[in-house]
Amino acid sequence: PADIRDAAQARVRSPPAPITDVARLCVCDLLVAQCDVNCCCDPDCSAEDFSLFTSCSVPVVTGDSQLCSQKAAVYSLDVEANPPERIFKLIDQVNPSIFCIQATNYKQALYLKSPEIPTPENFDQLLDKFGGAAFSAEPDSWNWDTDAQIPPDANETSRYEYGAPVQTEDAFLRLPSPVVSSWCSDANPAGFLVNQATKCIRSVSVEKCDSIQALSMLFYINSSILAVPKSSQMVNITVQSIVVQSLNGMRTLLSTSDVLRLPMVLDGLCINAVLGVNYHITHTDTGEIIEAAAAFVLGAISKEALSIEQSFEISFTQENTQPVPLSGNPGYVVGLPVRAGFQPQGYPFPAAFLSNKHSQLTILHSTSTQDCLAAQGARAPVLFGYNMISGCKLRITAAMKCQPLAQTLLDVLKGQSFPEYVASFGNSQAQDVLDWVPITQLLISEQMISPTLQSSCQIPVSLGIEVKWTKYGSLVNPQARIVNVTATISSTTLKQLPSARERIIPVTSSVVFTDISSPAEPSYKAWPTIDIKLPFDFFYPFV
Amino acid sequence: SSQLSSLPLQILLYVNGIYYIFYFLATLAMIIYKSQVFSYPDELLAPDLAVLFLMAILEVPRSYLGFKGNLTEAEAPLGLSLGLTVGSVGLCVYLLLWQTYVLWADVLLNAALLSAYGLESGLKVTAIAAFVS
Repeated sequence: PADIRDAAQARVRSPPAPITDVARLCVCDLLVAQCDVNCCCDPDCSAEDFSLFTSCSVPVVTGDSQLCSQKAAVYSLDVEANPPERIFKLIDQVNPSIFCIQATNYKQALYLKSPEIPTPENFDQLLDKFGGAAFSAEPDSWNWDTDAQIPPDANETSRYEYGAPVQTEDAFLRLPSPVVSSWCSDANPAGFLVNQATKCIRSVSVEKCDSIQALSMLFYINSSILAVPKSSQMVNITVQSIVVQSLNGMRTLLSTSDVLRLPMVLDGLCINAVLGVNYHITHTDTGEIIEAAAAFVLGAISKEALSIEQSFEISFTQENTQPVPLSGNPGYVVGLPVRAGFQPQGYPFPAAFLSNKHSQLTILHSTSTQDCLAAQGARAPVLFGYNMISGCKLRITAAMKCQPLAQTLLDVLKGQSFPEYVASFGNSQAQDVLDWVPITQLLISEQMISPTLQSSCQIPVSLGIEVKWTKYGSLVNPQARIVNVTATISSTTLKQLPSARERIIPVTSSVVFTDISSPAEPSYKAWPTIDIKLPFDFFYPFV
Repeated sequence: SSQLSSLPLQILLYVNGIYYIFYFLATLAMIIYKSQVFSYPDELLAPDLAVLFLMAILEVPRSYLGFKGNLTEAEAPLGLSLGLTVGSVGLCVYLLLWQTYVLWADVLLNAALLSAYGLESGLKVTAIAAFVS
C-alpha cells in the first residue's frame, strides 16, 4: 500500500549516515554477519576467533590526521597470553605539527561530501550538471570561459590536416555514403588524406532522371575545391575519364572526356546517369591541394529500376610520388603486406629504391597438387605479423641434373624477383634510403656440417625468412618497425639415385616475425627549474 | 614630573607595530597555505580575507593615533585609538574563534596579539587618566 511505498522511497532518498565514531569504524569488516580473518575490529568476531588470528590487518583507525588532537582506536593482538586475545584501546592522538587544525567552523571540511541522491525533482538539474562528457568541480565559474572561447577554426593553420573536411566553394567535397541504412546521404564530407570507398543506393525514377541532381556529372564537379582551408585559391575538378556502362554491364572507355554528358531520357531509358565517381586528389607535402580529377562511370537506368547503386571512391596522392599503398602509418599494421624493393644498379651513392605493388616480399603458396615444379607461379605476399609456412613436394628422378634442379628450386623458393630491401616502416618512401633494411641472405648447406663428404650436389630445400621487428615510439601508441630481415636457405645433398628410382623430398618455406622490442621505459619530464637572472645594472648606482 | 607621556605605552606601541606586520604576513601566508591544502570554498575564503585586511586597515590609524596621543599628551587621539583597539580586538577574536580553519599557529599568533592589545588598552586607560587629571 501507499505507506510502505513512501517508506521505501524515503529510505532510498537519504543515504546512510556517515560513521564518525572511530571505535565503530572498521575498514576490514567486509563480510556481513561473518568474522573476517585477521580483522581485529570486526564486531562479528568472538573471542575464539581472535585467538586464531596471526596479526591485525588494521592496527589503528584514526580520523583526519591533520587535526591537533583526535581519537584513535588501536587494535593489537596479545600473542603472549594463552589463548591470544585482542586488545582494544581508545587513545588520543596528538599531532605535534604547528600547522595542525585546532578547530574548524566548516563541518564538511573533514569529511567527504555526501553525494546528492537523484530524485524526480532534482534529476534534470543533476543531468545538466553532470550529464556531459566532463564536468569541473566548480561548474558555474567556468561558464563564462566557454562563452568567450574563440571558435576552434579561427586559429587554424593555413593547410589541410589529416581528416579535415576538404572544403569547396559552397560547402565541402561530398562523398555520398550510406548512413544508418544503405540509402545515399550527400552530407558526408571527404576527409583530407582519408582514402575512402563507399557504395550506396539512390532512389531514382526514369521520368525525373534529368532533375535528380545526384545523377548528373555536374553535381560532382561544379564547385571547385579550395587549395587551403578558408582561402580564395580554387582548384577546379577536371574530368579524368568517362566510362560508359551499358545495361548488360559492359563498360567502354570513352576517348574524349572533355564533353560533359548530362542525363537525359532516351527511348525510355535514362542515359548518362552517374553510377560511380572516383576522385583523385593530388596534394603537396605541406597540406595544400594542387590538383583534383574525377573519373566517372556513366550508365543507363531502365524504366523498371526504382533504385541504383552508386559507388564513390577518393584517393590522395602526394605530388611527384608514385601512389603506393601504405602498409601502416608509420608503423606496420598487422595483416598488411611487407613492402620491399630493389636498389637500382649503377649508382655510386645510395639512390632511391624501386618499389611498386609487384615488388613485395612473397613466399611460396602451397597448391592442392603439392608439386613444386607445377606451382612455380603461385606466390603469396608476406603479411606483417602473420607467421606463415608453406611447402611443396619435389619428385626427383635419376635423370635430373643437379645444377638446373638447384636453380629451379631456388626459383620456386625465392620467386622470380626476390627483393633486396624491406621497408622498415609501413609508410617508408622510396627516396628515403635510410628507412630501408637490407635482406641478409644466409646459406646453410649440409656440406658445412660434415666436411668429410665429397663436394656433391647441393639443392636448396628450405627458405626461412625471419623478420625481427621492434616497437618504436611512444608507450601509448607503439609503432611496429622492422629492424632486421634474414633469409636463410638450407640446402641438402642430393645423392645420386639408381636409375628408374625416384625420391620425393619436401621443400618448405616459412616466415617468422619476432618481436625484439626492449622493455619500455617511461620517462618523466624534468623538474622545472627556476631560471632567474637579474639585469646587470640591477644594483646601480651601488655597483 | 612634568612628563605625563607613558614610556611603557610608547614601548608597547612600537613593539606592537612591528609584531603586527609579522602577524599580518604570517596569517596571510597561512590562509594561502590552507586554501591550497584544505578544501576552502570561495564563499568562506572571502570573509576570512576581508577580516584580515580590515584589521590591517584599522591598525594604521590606531597605531598613529596612539603614538600622537601619547607623545602630545592629548587624550582625544588616545581615546580614539582606544576605540579602534576595541574594533581590532573584535576582529582578532573572529580570527581566533570563527575562522574556517583555526590552526595551532593561528591560536598562538592571535593569543599573543590579543594579550598585546589588552596590555595596550590598560596602559592607554592609565595614560588618559593621567592626562585628564
